[in-house]
Amino acid sequence: MTWLIWRQHRTEVCVLGLLVGTFGIALLVLGTQAHDLFPGGPARCAGEAGSNEACAASFRRLDEEYGYVENLLAGFYLVPVVIGAFLGAPLLARELEDGTWQLAWTQAVPRMRWLAAKLAALAGVTVALTGMFTAVVTWFRQPFDAWEGRFQYDAFDLEGLVPVAYALFAFGVATAAGAILRRSLPAFGVAFGAFLAVRMPVALLARPAYATPLTTMEPIPVGGSKDQAGHGPVPSNASWMIEHGYADATGRRLSWTEYYELEAAANRAGTNLNQFLHARGIQQFNVYHPADRFWTFQLIEAALFLAVAAVLIGVVVWRVRRRMI
Amino acid sequence: MTGTEFALRTDGVGKRYRKGWALRDCTLALPAGGVIALVGPNGAGKTTLLRLVVGLLAPSTGTVEVLGHDVTASTPQTLSRVGFLAQDHPLYKRFTVAEMLRFGRACNLRFDQGLAERRLAKLGIPLDRRAGTLSGGQQAQVALALALAKRPDLLVLDEPVASLDPLARHEFLQVLMGAVAEGGVTVLFSSHVVHELERVCDHLVVLNHGRVTLTGDIDTLLAEHRLLVGPRTATDLDRAGAVVEAVHSDRHTTLLVRDGAIPAAPGWQARPVALEDLVLAYLRRPSEPSAAVTSGVAA
Repeated sequence: MTWLIWRQHRTEVCVLGLLVGTFGIALLVLGTQAHDLFPGGPARCAGEAGSNEACAASFRRLDEEYGYVENLLAGFYLVPVVIGAFLGAPLLARELEDGTWQLAWTQAVPRMRWLAAKLAALAGVTVALTGMFTAVVTWFRQPFDAWEGRFQYDAFDLEGLVPVAYALFAFGVATAAGAILRRSLPAFGVAFGAFLAVRMPVALLARPAYATPLTTMEPIPVGGSKDQAGHGPVPSNASWMIEHGYADATGRRLSWTEYYELEAAANRAGTNLNQFLHARGIQQFNVYHPADRFWTFQLIEAALFLAVAAVLIGVVVWRVRRRMI
Repeated sequence: MTGTEFALRTDGVGKRYRKGWALRDCTLALPAGGVIALVGPNGAGKTTLLRLVVGLLAPSTGTVEVLGHDVTASTPQTLSRVGFLAQDHPLYKRFTVAEMLRFGRACNLRFDQGLAERRLAKLGIPLDRRAGTLSGGQQAQVALALALAKRPDLLVLDEPVASLDPLARHEFLQVLMGAVAEGGVTVLFSSHVVHELERVCDHLVVLNHGRVTLTGDIDTLLAEHRLLVGPRTATDLDRAGAVVEAVHSDRHTTLLVRDGAIPAAPGWQARPVALEDLVLAYLRRPSEPSAAVTSGVAA
């Protein structure tokens, strides 16, 4: 079986391996240069950036010289999906397209053993390739993460565990779609579409709700500059800000319209905005997830996608077992 | 050889797809040894029945027993006793012929690589060619060599020669019959072509509209059936229920009867029936008991 699986899927494995290898090496080269900007390590530098001028300069150079790579990387959130769908789509669909399922399942290898071997091997390749790619990206992004935190969409979706879960999700969708549609290319398309359709709602709606966010509420300092008042004190650079704004003395959150009315009133009165707000007991609040929740959130989101992948693989196994193909 | 009396036994087998029943109430007992032909028009349910036999499908009703084993409980041992050549003889098109043989060796318990290589060498099929670049006849031969190298006790072929030109068809059947003569393999194959069967087959199953309409040993079937030719008559002659088909021409009436007593009336002659006419007569019969009149095609 090992030889057969390799012979049947070596093209996909080689193409994907080449793709991951090329991007991986490019990122390693660029990443080494970027890491060299921080002799003491980017994490320590990020802590000192406020006081240490060399560190602040390093981060500026990082942004100027390697910021474009970071922007390009945002497009790489599709890499896990390409890997998973490319390996999953032909698993059953190609056999069904060419009629060779009748050949494969009438040899002496029982179909369930055949399916188990194929699923294990190709899911294994999916995990290995995505894992390697994610490891390189995670390492490359270390200096950026030190500055921006790991909860940004272009960090969270590319690092840690979730890319592997995305890849297995795409693998499951593609395999199941291939079993039902009996065509490789539509199955690939379905997996791609399913990921794009699922990713946005999960990232925007589900992810912030994995845990109850923390809330800070503090009075507006009298002496603060307008700039500070506008943005409010961020709990930490690496936290994930969900919402921020103003509340009245009782803690009732003000709508932005109410806030702008206050601002206009302050202007009409000709007083300093902060003093004006402070005098009325206005407070500013932040709703956020602290940075140390990164791994919890990664685990939750990975489990979510893995569960769906498991269900889809279950459907495939059930269909093959019941001889519905 | 195998110790089992029947190559294939089905009991009340039906297969239902989403669009309806492809096969109903199929009860068969086919002896081991010899060549069994499964005959029927396109869409009669032949492929469905054969896929049920090799365990590619599971029946919706009834049971399928091949060589004494329930096929749905497929183990390497039971699977290796049955060879299958699907319609259009699928191969992995990008594999070379040698890789196809390696596939056979990797996935079977008693694959006879030497046998397959000898067969292919005899046919002049090079091992280093990709399967997809071979001619249709050569692809069929590679698929047959693979199936035979499994050394199956039952070899099932779905329309094996339907897509082949006459020369390739002849060559294919020659190889197949050679293999049957060599060793005790039972062959079950489907066809919608009726002629040539008499020469090749021992046993016949006629399938029409998803139902078995005739089954039996070919010699016995031919002995049981006769054509009766007499003056044209419109009266119902099927008193004994033995008339398979009545055909009226201008002046004569021809009856195909089974186990038939000759009608008492004088002027009737009995003739043996050719296998092709016998099969066609059964295929022309209405598929459902509720169906309309028998078509009286002029001879």
